[in-house]
Amino acid sequence: MKSNPGTTETRSNLTASGGGQVTSFESLQFTDEIHRLILAPTTNNASSLTALLELPPPQAIELLHSSDSMKLIAASLPNVEDFKGSFRFPSNTGLTEPDARFSVFSGEANNSNEKRHSPESKNLSANLEKAVKSEPAETESSQPLVSDPTVDKRTIKRKDRENKVKGSRKKSKTAVNESSEDAEKLPYVHVRARRGQATDSHSLAERARREKINARMKFLQELVPGCNKISGTALVLDEIINHVQSLQRQVEFLSMRLAAVNPRIDFNLDSVFTSESGSLMDSNIPGLVMPAMWPEIQGDGNRQQYQHQWNVDALQQPVWGREVCNNYITPENSLLTYGSSANSATLQANQLKMEL
Amino acid sequence: MRPHSSLKQEFLKKWIMGLQRCSFSKKNMSILERKKAIKFSADIAMASARNGTTCWSRSLISNASKEGSDIHVVEQILGSESDRPAVENKVPTRRASVCKKIVKRSCRIRRRRRRRKCVASAPSSIAKHLVRKRREVLKSLIPGGEFMNEICLIEETLDYITSLRVQVDVMRSLASASVRASE
Repeated sequence: MKSNPGTTETRSNLTASGGGQVTSFESLQFTDEIHRLILAPTTNNASSLTALLELPPPQAIELLHSSDSMKLIAASLPNVEDFKGSFRFPSNTGLTEPDARFSVFSGEANNSNEKRHSPESKNLSANLEKAVKSEPAETESSQPLVSDPTVDKRTIKRKDRENKVKGSRKKSKTAVNESSEDAEKLPYVHVRARRGQATDSHSLAERARREKINARMKFLQELVPGCNKISGTALVLDEIINHVQSLQRQVEFLSMRLAAVNPRIDFNLDSVFTSESGSLMDSNIPGLVMPAMWPEIQGDGNRQQYQHQWNVDALQQPVWGREVCNNYITPENSLLTYGSSANSATLQANQLKMEL
Repeated sequence: MRPHSSLKQEFLKKWIMGLQRCSFSKKNMSILERKKAIKFSADIAMASARNGTTCWSRSLISNASKEGSDIHVVEQILGSESDRPAVENKVPTRRASVCKKIVKRSCRIRRRRRRRKCVASAPSSIAKHLVRKRREVLKSLIPGGEFMNEICLIEETLDYITSLRVQVDVMRSLASASVRASE
């Protein structure tokens, strides 16, 4: 490759000149090569790579597999992006001193000392090429695969590619975890096979089922108070069980209380409501308030009849005018109007109270 | 968000209907009888408010309609919705499924006993064991829970919790109102 000797020359020149002095031509060449490498993948996967670049370098590093070449790319790319306009490759300053250069690139203590001594430029460019090429593969595969029907093949291909590139590097599961999380956010239920785990249909289906269960557990956590902070399925289930048991016990207790208060099972609702019309209106049963007024207005003669009837009709909304006290709407008709005219009921109840 | 107010009102209406029906049959009831009747009608009202969409409501109603004594209450509450044929049909199928489930459960228990001897002390298996225990408890709590798989169980729990809350709210307001009225 032409550029390689060119870069080696630039390197040697730099080492010779020993300083931040970089001729524009040489830096241009080097940066051009990098640009070519970077821009080519970006045209293919514009979103993926630029998305990667937007991430802060440590995250970007983590997303890609933890490998030295990856780190080189991740660390160097932001630098290149920053200095695109000026065509100054900041790491050039470090090129003079091998130690400094690698510290700039990797940003942390690295074990790539052996690379220093080999023809650095070649290695660097080769690494860059390799890394950049495998990078789009990484980013591409880490993106949600909406259009990919065959997850199994993909994972196998990806694993092969990774094996070629990585060699003896450490395998991290963070990238795969992120990709599987990304897949979850989509409406399309795409399950990513985890690295090192089986890819057959059974485990995939089970994983999908498990994710469904986890999603529903989240709803339950929101519903039951105090479950948000708890982590762990068993403890959350404990809380849910406690909550259900307490609710059931409350129902029992309240029914006992109601039985104790009232001598008859169909409560003396009229006496209840006349005294408590205000509080009941607040508690979402405004309809019951209205009929409470009528028996008192009409007198006690018809009370028995009314009691039964308006116990059923109680929840109907008036549509009643004030005058219409004898026309009880049948339950079926009134059910439809109930929800809609809740507001009118409260107004009418207020007016009635004023009258009384 | 569920429209709580409409749910509450529907529940209250049906509950009162059921209570009326109870009071027609027996004139003087002891306090325990009353409590039972109150709770019973409340449960049926709550279950019928779901209109047969959820499993727990259906099993509640079918359980209630199995006993012959209070079946008229169930009919009263459900009568307007013509839910009765569905309820009747469910009873025989549930008996068959109950038998199947009992057989399955006995097989599972046998298998589980065998597995317990060689249970690994790996943390994941311990966690699974704990979760499984709690899931069984939850199944026993929710009406008709034994016949559900895990996903359905969690959905039914969600629904059941909201209905229970509605029930508790309505009963509490009624109780407080009647207590204040009697003073």
